[in-house]
Amino acid sequence: MSVSTRSIEGALAEIVGRERVSAEPRLLVAAAIDGRPPRWVVSPGALEQVAAVLALAHDEKLAVAARGSASALDLGRPPARLDAVLDMRGLTRVTEDNPDDLTVSVEAGITAGALAARLAARHQWLPVDPPGWQSRTIGGLVATNAHGPLRARYGTLRDLLLGVRFVQAHGVSTWGGARVVKSVTGYDVPKLMVGSLGTLGVLTELTLRLHPMPESELTWLAAFPSAAAAQAFVACVLDSTLQPSRVELLSGAALRACAATPARAAVAIAIGSVEAAVRDQGALVEDFARRAGGGAAVAPATFWERYDRAFARGDGEMVLQVASLPSRLADTVDAIERGQEGLGSGAAVMITGCAAVATLRVTLTGAELEGAARFIERLRAFVGDFGGSVVIQSGPIALRAGLDPWGPLDPATLALMRALKDEFDPHRVLNPGRFVGGL
Amino acid sequence: MSVARLGAFTAPDLPSLEGIRACVHCGICLPQCPTYRVLGEEMDSPRGRIYLMRAAAEERLEPTEAFARHMDLCLGCRACESACPAGVPFGALLEATRFQLARRGLSSEPRLLTRLIFAVFPHPGRMGLLLGALRLYQRSGLQRLVRASGLLRLAPRLAAMEALLPLVPPREPLPELIPARGGRRGRLGLLTGCVQRHLYPQVNRDTARLLSLAGWDVIVPREQGCCGALDLHGGRLGAFRRRARALAAQFAGDLDYVVTSAAGCGSAMKEYGHWLPEAAEVGALARRVRDVSQVLVDADLPLGRLETSVTYHDACHLAHGQKLRNEPRALLARVPGLRLVPLADSELCCGSAGVYNLVEPEMAERLLDMKISRILATGARVVAAANPGCLLQIAKGCRARGLDIEVVHPVELVARALPA
Amino acid sequence: MSLSPAAVKELQRILGPQGLVTTPEGRLVYECDMHTLYKGMPDAVALPTRTEQVQAVVDLCRRERVPVVPRGSGTGLIGGAMAPRGGVMVSLNRMDRILDIDLANRCATVQPGLINLWLTRAVSDRGYFFAPDPSSQMVSSIGGNVATNAGGPHCLKYGITTNHVLGLEMVTGRGELVRLGGKAMDRPGYDLTGAAVGSEGTFGLVTAITVRLLHAPEAVKTVLASFATIGEASETVSDIIAAGMIPAALEMLDAVIIRAINAGIGAGYPDRAGAVLLIELDGPTAEVEVQGERCAALCRRHRALEVRVAHDEAERALLWKGRKEAAGAVGRLTSSYLLQDAVVPRSKLPQIMREMETIAARHGVLIANVFHAGDGNLHPLICYDDRKPEELARAVRANEELLHACIELGGSVTGEHGVGVDKAENLTLQYSEADLNFMYRLRRVFDPDGIMNPGKLLPSHPACAEGFRPSRPVLPTGAWI
Repeated sequence: MSVSTRSIEGALAEIVGRERVSAEPRLLVAAAIDGRPPRWVVSPGALEQVAAVLALAHDEKLAVAARGSASALDLGRPPARLDAVLDMRGLTRVTEDNPDDLTVSVEAGITAGALAARLAARHQWLPVDPPGWQSRTIGGLVATNAHGPLRARYGTLRDLLLGVRFVQAHGVSTWGGARVVKSVTGYDVPKLMVGSLGTLGVLTELTLRLHPMPESELTWLAAFPSAAAAQAFVACVLDSTLQPSRVELLSGAALRACAATPARAAVAIAIGSVEAAVRDQGALVEDFARRAGGGAAVAPATFWERYDRAFARGDGEMVLQVASLPSRLADTVDAIERGQEGLGSGAAVMITGCAAVATLRVTLTGAELEGAARFIERLRAFVGDFGGSVVIQSGPIALRAGLDPWGPLDPATLALMRALKDEFDPHRVLNPGRFVGGL
Repeated sequence: MSVARLGAFTAPDLPSLEGIRACVHCGICLPQCPTYRVLGEEMDSPRGRIYLMRAAAEERLEPTEAFARHMDLCLGCRACESACPAGVPFGALLEATRFQLARRGLSSEPRLLTRLIFAVFPHPGRMGLLLGALRLYQRSGLQRLVRASGLLRLAPRLAAMEALLPLVPPREPLPELIPARGGRRGRLGLLTGCVQRHLYPQVNRDTARLLSLAGWDVIVPREQGCCGALDLHGGRLGAFRRRARALAAQFAGDLDYVVTSAAGCGSAMKEYGHWLPEAAEVGALARRVRDVSQVLVDADLPLGRLETSVTYHDACHLAHGQKLRNEPRALLARVPGLRLVPLADSELCCGSAGVYNLVEPEMAERLLDMKISRILATGARVVAAANPGCLLQIAKGCRARGLDIEVVHPVELVARALPA
Repeated sequence: MSLSPAAVKELQRILGPQGLVTTPEGRLVYECDMHTLYKGMPDAVALPTRTEQVQAVVDLCRRERVPVVPRGSGTGLIGGAMAPRGGVMVSLNRMDRILDIDLANRCATVQPGLINLWLTRAVSDRGYFFAPDPSSQMVSSIGGNVATNAGGPHCLKYGITTNHVLGLEMVTGRGELVRLGGKAMDRPGYDLTGAAVGSEGTFGLVTAITVRLLHAPEAVKTVLASFATIGEASETVSDIIAAGMIPAALEMLDAVIIRAINAGIGAGYPDRAGAVLLIELDGPTAEVEVQGERCAALCRRHRALEVRVAHDEAERALLWKGRKEAAGAVGRLTSSYLLQDAVVPRSKLPQIMREMETIAARHGVLIANVFHAGDGNLHPLICYDDRKPEELARAVRANEELLHACIELGGSVTGEHGVGVDKAENLTLQYSEADLNFMYRLRRVFDPDGIMNPGKLLPSHPACAEGFRPSRPVLPTGAWI
């Protein structure tokens, strides 16, 4: 069947309802990804509609990109093609809730903030907190494997996603995983979906493992005269019986952005437990900080809110995700700060990130394009030596068009990923071009 | 048992089907098995061997040379029994299976050597003659000549035997009665062991001395024979039973316990009841058998200080055969100043295993290598082991590597702590 | 399918004289893993010591279109490490070295044959441990743990194997050696490491594994609570979880199992209890104390007969030894059993245990229970005498009914043992045709020739075969103006 543009629009309208399909130029421009507007914005109101839209797209060889809050739309390469943007924000139901099992199933469009409000009432949480997390959708967080300070204790969505419903490129709704906390039945399909940027399927429903909220939590801000001292402190923390929930590194500039007491480098370390244990462990934190040549003091209760506000998306920024190693933390910070000089006058660099696993978030402001590209390439060479990576999480199209935002991949591994994409989306319906290797 | 046949096996002395079937194939025995550790092959693991026995019992498999080879390669250390949560009596199954194989003439053991060994080792008199000759061999300079000649390379098993030999000490038989000193507690018989009495007479001497100090009259029957352990492990059940009956007659007197400091002998004697259920006097002996460590561990001994670091190797027939792990350690720990350093894989066989190191020198050597490297890692210069086979084997390993490590029986260390 | 003489010769060349088993006796003992009901003798067993040998064997088998069946220590419970279609079994237990311990980055790289517990032993003196602790950990290999995505008692708090695997080196069914993931987190691209863990050798043979190591907690408290009935113990479990506590481990053992364990090592479990809970809390001392008190209070609220705290490491070790050897100890009660591994939501534990009693009575079978109650992962051992086909038939029916009951409560077919041949057909209970077809295609990506551990993990359903078209939404037809 080959139909005209208008008839595709009609078919979409028949699937989701006229009011849920838009081709209005103003809206299309607003929905553009990397400056490329889609032909339609479709806002499904039910899971079955997503399947039907994709079936149509598949038959018509359309390119479809799913979006949530649009906060991570400039992750990845510019799209190779784009016909329809699927706005998932209408799918916000909680489909199954088992408070006594610490599990919940939600539609992909629900925001983390809305879910958190529901869970807080029963002292549970989904411990995923990238800056700006409250407004982001769960589907978006999963598709981009977003993470924040809490990964130090709770891991990432990879460790929290139990089951996933998604629609394959040919419009078949598919489920993987389970609704219980433990299951090895069949392949671990949820892992495959985390961080896949919607290129293997459009995520529609997610079953999540929840954690009890700690009864009591305090944060210490440990300040140090150098990144090396901060690393020594982190090494001490890791090589101890401390059970911190966040071990967040902040460079001097990042500290200023949080309006915290200035220092060359700092580590914000949160302890969540019963009150007595928080006190005991806090004493240890202060001791470790002193021994590493710094000092730690309890941070104000609003610290993490300030942190969140400071690092939620700002305009004109470039954000890099740098994966290093705990043993190379200081080296990596120093390499980043040294590289700052080449970014142009007026450029600033802020470093935050989980020191426990050395995943750093580097925010560049006011950087010149060419300087930034050189900076990234040098950084890639540096961390690449020990298996690390640098991903451009956000930045101008011009930067990502000239420089692979994902960085180099081992050819054999990339070939396997390409085979995977060829199997599940041979016609490149799903978010074509944006993922690694242009998949 | 009235069953005449169990698959490929025939009466008498069938392997116990219940015993075989108790194995649920969990594999917990695997890492404890020396041959599995060295070879990494299922058929040379306890689970694999039981599976082969089961296949034969279920007529899925005829016992073949290859089958016999996997049974022969087993050291009979019974580490698997210690590990087994289901209580599979592996030692008894192996011995019964070997008996079946021996009756069929299926054994890949080198016949000539085996015959030589069994013609000498269990006969204290013949053993004495042989050792007298060897003493001459060592001291006349002939040993140096033979070693230098390279002749031994042509006969690896003979070489293994030759290398194993320590300096053969002069004979010094114990008196038939060593009276108790101090508060008298009772009467004991002492089994001196065929190999031990010739190669480690001081161990028996120290054992007797400690027992006497602990208040026991120690009776050492002059005519005591062999306990039959080597026959049992080799599947020669007939000879084993004859020796057991004879020994029971020699220790028939009014004895509270029959004590030995040779773990292999103690282990075999404790099992007499299983193999001779109808012979009451043999069962009575079995029930009275104690390892020396059991008797001495809480004895009243006048121990002085002995400043030394010691590591302890678990003799298989003590740890697995007799389930005695704590007693010998506790005995050593009683010596003031003695520091006991843990030995990694202390329960892994050293490769001695009766005459195993003579008939399977290659496997024995690989196990010895593992043992020596772990001993070295402890940093201790003294290794204690409670079985003459282990003492010979580990001492050989140290000698061959030029290591200055003393290999002793625990009672020797305890005796050293006695006031002169 | 059997091996040509030329192929055997080639295998011998690849593996050396000591590296290939072809005798009938040798092949026979490799015909099953711990699930002895399923037997399949390989045509040959390869015992490689190097990655290149593994790759060469896979290459050869691809050319010859011969099945490749991986095996570690052969302790699996699902008939995963046996060769239903013959072929070459690749036993990786000789590749058992620790390649790298990197405590600064809290990880280690090991070969697949390394025994799980040996890794913890290698790092415990420096205060670290490898968290996944399947009951077989004293013998099972880390490669096997990766293949089945093994769990264990302490997975309640620490997560299962996949949560601790950072990277894999693997020879895929395409014959390529790939390195997935690594020490550094968040490698860009699809999480193929995550997909490969638990793939039961159907994607390829893993030749090296980078795992996370954890620092030992400050305090550990092990509590043994005994109850008159399983019902009371189950309700206690549900309440502990609902109260927002995640103990390190929360295990249940019933009277039958207690008897079997006590008959063996005498771990000190109370003989007369209908059920016991083994509760272990770990973490900061103050937290362990407070939570220990709360757990004890919940036990007492459910009429616990006794709540006992292990007073030293030796007592704790003995309780755990009893627990870990339970499945083996059952050999003292029965020669054979079917072992179920289904999962129910933890709040449904009292309900499923009642259901189980009914099912056992209906079929006249003895069911022993020893399981990870804290995450709802059941392990009923359904006993039968393998010489009585009728008993086996009843056990099989009870097993099926129980599984269906678990799925109806919203559970899962297998919590940690894996699928293998044992549960392959059961996948249809949990997954639709579309789901199964996705998995089939995923497998084909890694193993286009279908030689990697064939007959395992996926059912013999049309959705798991070439040419299947899952049903799609009906699309509007016609033209629209």
